[in-house]
Amino acid sequence: MNTLPTIVGGAGAARTAGATATSRWWLTRWLRAGRVLGWLGAALLVLFIGMAVLAPVLAGHSPRVASGLPYEEPTANHLLGTDDLGVDIFAALLYGARITLAVGVLSALFGVGVGLTVALLAGYFRGAVEVVLMRTVDFTLSFPFLPLVILLATFLGRGFLTTVLVIAGVIWARPARVMRAQVLKVREFGHVAAARAMGAPTPYILSRHVLPRVTPLAIAQFVRAAHVAVFIEASLAFLGLGDPNGQSWGTMLFFANSHNAFLTDAWRWWILPPGLALAATVLGFAFVGYALEEWADPRLARAARPARPASRFRRSKEAVSVPLPLPSESVSSVLEVRDLRVRYDTPADPLDAVDGVSFAIGPRRVVGLVGESGCGKSSLSMALLRLLRPPGHLAGGAVVLDGCDLASLSTPAMARVRGRQISLVPQSAMNALNPAYSVHRQVREAAALTRNRAEAATRAHELLDLVGIPAARHGAYPHELSGGMRQRVVIAMAIANEPSLLIADEPLTGLDVVTQEHILQLLLDLRDRFGMAILLISHDLPVVGRIADDLLVMYAGRIVESGPAAQVMHDPHHPYTRALLRAFPSVRGPQQVLASIPGEPPDLLHPPCGCRYHPRCAEAFDACSRVNPPLFEPIAGHYAACLLEKR
Amino acid sequence: MIRHTARAIAQYTLVLLGAIVLNFALPRLAPGNPIDFLLPPEQAGILTPMQRQQALSQFGLDQPIPVQFARYLGGLTRGDLLYSVRYGRPVRDLIAERLPWTLLLVGTAIALATLIGTLLGFRSAWRRGTAEDIAYLSLVILADSLPVFFVGMMLILVFAVQLGLFPIYGAVPTTTATGVAFVVAVGKRLTLPLATLTLASIGPIYLVARSALMSELQEDYVLMAEAKGLDRRGVRRHAQRNALLPLWTVALLNLGTLVGGATIVETVFSYPGLGRLIYQSVIARDYPVLQGTFLLLSVSVIAANFIADVAYPLLDPRVRRPVGVSA
Repeated sequence: MNTLPTIVGGAGAARTAGATATSRWWLTRWLRAGRVLGWLGAALLVLFIGMAVLAPVLAGHSPRVASGLPYEEPTANHLLGTDDLGVDIFAALLYGARITLAVGVLSALFGVGVGLTVALLAGYFRGAVEVVLMRTVDFTLSFPFLPLVILLATFLGRGFLTTVLVIAGVIWARPARVMRAQVLKVREFGHVAAARAMGAPTPYILSRHVLPRVTPLAIAQFVRAAHVAVFIEASLAFLGLGDPNGQSWGTMLFFANSHNAFLTDAWRWWILPPGLALAATVLGFAFVGYALEEWADPRLARAARPARPASRFRRSKEAVSVPLPLPSESVSSVLEVRDLRVRYDTPADPLDAVDGVSFAIGPRRVVGLVGESGCGKSSLSMALLRLLRPPGHLAGGAVVLDGCDLASLSTPAMARVRGRQISLVPQSAMNALNPAYSVHRQVREAAALTRNRAEAATRAHELLDLVGIPAARHGAYPHELSGGMRQRVVIAMAIANEPSLLIADEPLTGLDVVTQEHILQLLLDLRDRFGMAILLISHDLPVVGRIADDLLVMYAGRIVESGPAAQVMHDPHHPYTRALLRAFPSVRGPQQVLASIPGEPPDLLHPPCGCRYHPRCAEAFDACSRVNPPLFEPIAGHYAACLLEKR
Repeated sequence: MIRHTARAIAQYTLVLLGAIVLNFALPRLAPGNPIDFLLPPEQAGILTPMQRQQALSQFGLDQPIPVQFARYLGGLTRGDLLYSVRYGRPVRDLIAERLPWTLLLVGTAIALATLIGTLLGFRSAWRRGTAEDIAYLSLVILADSLPVFFVGMMLILVFAVQLGLFPIYGAVPTTTATGVAFVVAVGKRLTLPLATLTLASIGPIYLVARSALMSELQEDYVLMAEAKGLDRRGVRRHAQRNALLPLWTVALLNLGTLVGGATIVETVFSYPGLGRLIYQSVIARDYPVLQGTFLLLSVSVIAANFIADVAYPLLDPRVRRPVGVSA
């Protein structure tokens, strides 16, 4: 009985300096870049709007009447030369901004106006109104939009208003669809639902409650629509369908292209300026659009949080230098964990979800790890496998598996340890199977790590038999199996290479009681068959206590009690363990009043001083709020981190 | 599955009908006399009222609208798409001549854009938040914002005019080349239009590939794949298999955008496909040709939407093989 060495909990351990600086560097940079791009876009738009407004002042020439000879090169008089008719190109460029921008903005206004109306009506009234409107949206979106615009524009004749209406008639559908989704969401907000229930008139609800919530999105959609509209107008004009009463930039390019301006030097002042102006305008709208979308939907900004799949694991310098003398009595341990610290980088302070945890697991032993949700159990198990997802990372300590410190392995070397020496039945095992592959294939994949393909296929069948999947179901896809069966498949994958340690993280969640019992029995059978150790993580102390050899009780990132399971169950020494036991009904023992633990586990960003359990502890006394209790050993091999044990 | 297909058929038939009705209604609702849309502009202008009446009855335009519509539908079922005003030839023949070039251009572009967009998008997602990811993302946003014809013109300027690497006009060589030389010549003329169109249509594919893989990487089965000891390649394969699902839809829906882009690209490069035919018809006010091409393009895009919608379930085992047993 040497599985639980005397290691003091995280008391007073100096917080290791995390290498957190680089992790958010790109995030902040990108967000800042996003905002910068937004402003850059706005600046571009202001520039062109200024050009459009001030055209008569700046131009100096008429944009229509020839003011020079054809194809004049740029001079002080004609800044960008003249076109084939001798019209000043600089003047045409300035006046062109008016048409391009006016068409873009007006079409977007009409389009988004229609879209918003449709979205409000469809999203608010639901039912038949919604069906008809949304089918119309689908209908509009099903057409190739540019050919449709071309057809409409040709038949309806060229002209400013026609162009605007035709473009608006095509672009309204996408904003309508996006904004309807938002209306649907807003509709279910508490205060809107309440207003409806109280019988507030619909126009009132729509204008006072719904519209304000949709407006930011509508503004973002407007900019996006303007971007598309400028694009379409340019394309139409480029095909010779522009407004005959005034040249837009697209029209200029149409004439330049049809007069083969490439072939002479004329392209430099005839094609480049309107082309670049157009590109810059579209880009300006795009940049402002992206920035506004982020502003309208903060989730986008959060989604930009970078992950580091390449190196999920960063070690602080201190972790490397932790000396790891293996106590002689624990040489036979399968796993030794020393002062393990799992840290999550939060925008505020780093949060230690696992705060200096130490324990060991002997061969073939089943060790139960129990505690409420959020006490760090899963972070601990992910840390053992080095599968912590950012922003979580290992910030110190050692994980010694079969005599090898996993914390010091390279990423590829760690990948070779997983599945072979240490494996996992993950928390949501129901979703742990890839929906796209048959279960046999997924088990085979695991088995193939140490076998050739043919052997792996055979082995996969054996494993599936072993966990009790009937042969007829081996080729099934995950969705075709029940939750219990899927759980068995995951277990088959986890034991495929007979690891020395299996971590089962809440393997019973979501299963009915009978199935739970089957799965537990399966785990124990497999332990007997392959001689592996099992770390069984659960919040269900009575169940775990029944089948485990040893127990670890965790609270707020620390181990508060540990010892042989029978002893901990029978004679718990930490008030938290006692409270946990009282919170579950007992079938066999004397009837007791069920008592839930008052309060909630502490916020780990601001953990209470002293014993982290003291605010909820009925037995706390004054020292508890000051002194962080080390692990005491009231009985040999049974530890509890409670000051009551000191006496 | 069958219900889904039936619903999709009903929905897309409706859209198709919409395109057909629109095509029928436009010349009749548009300002002016419908006959103006069926005769060359210079002829229509000088008709006497008498000749006008004759022309109307010749085209059946003096019949009641339902009769006209029935005839129009009858013509469509025979593949009859009126006569080109400008060429005096059946619109059907004109389209048949141009279609292969557009198919070559759009087909290759859609394949290339999907391939490149997916590869870049997956790479971005895998290296999310790194300098490489942000570089790709910015480039794609930039490429997505440049007007297609401007990109085309710049490519002509640099690679054809300045560097003289590629011919600018047409799809086939003016000289009589045969065999390999012909293929090379066609390839050379295809390169720049293809590059333009591909560049213009990578955006949606890239963005969807990137976000699809990013969300798959959050799934539990990816964690499990890693926990069971697969190397990076193995884990990536798991996530990518599922991230490919939405891409199928996007690639097909992209056809609508590509067809529009092809109109512009073919105009810039004088490539003899449907797009250029549209452009020439706009310039010549050749309405029947415009209607015919619009109808064909709509049908193709609607068909692509339909295929995307109906075939999607086949890619996803969860839909392909409905649940057998439940918990």
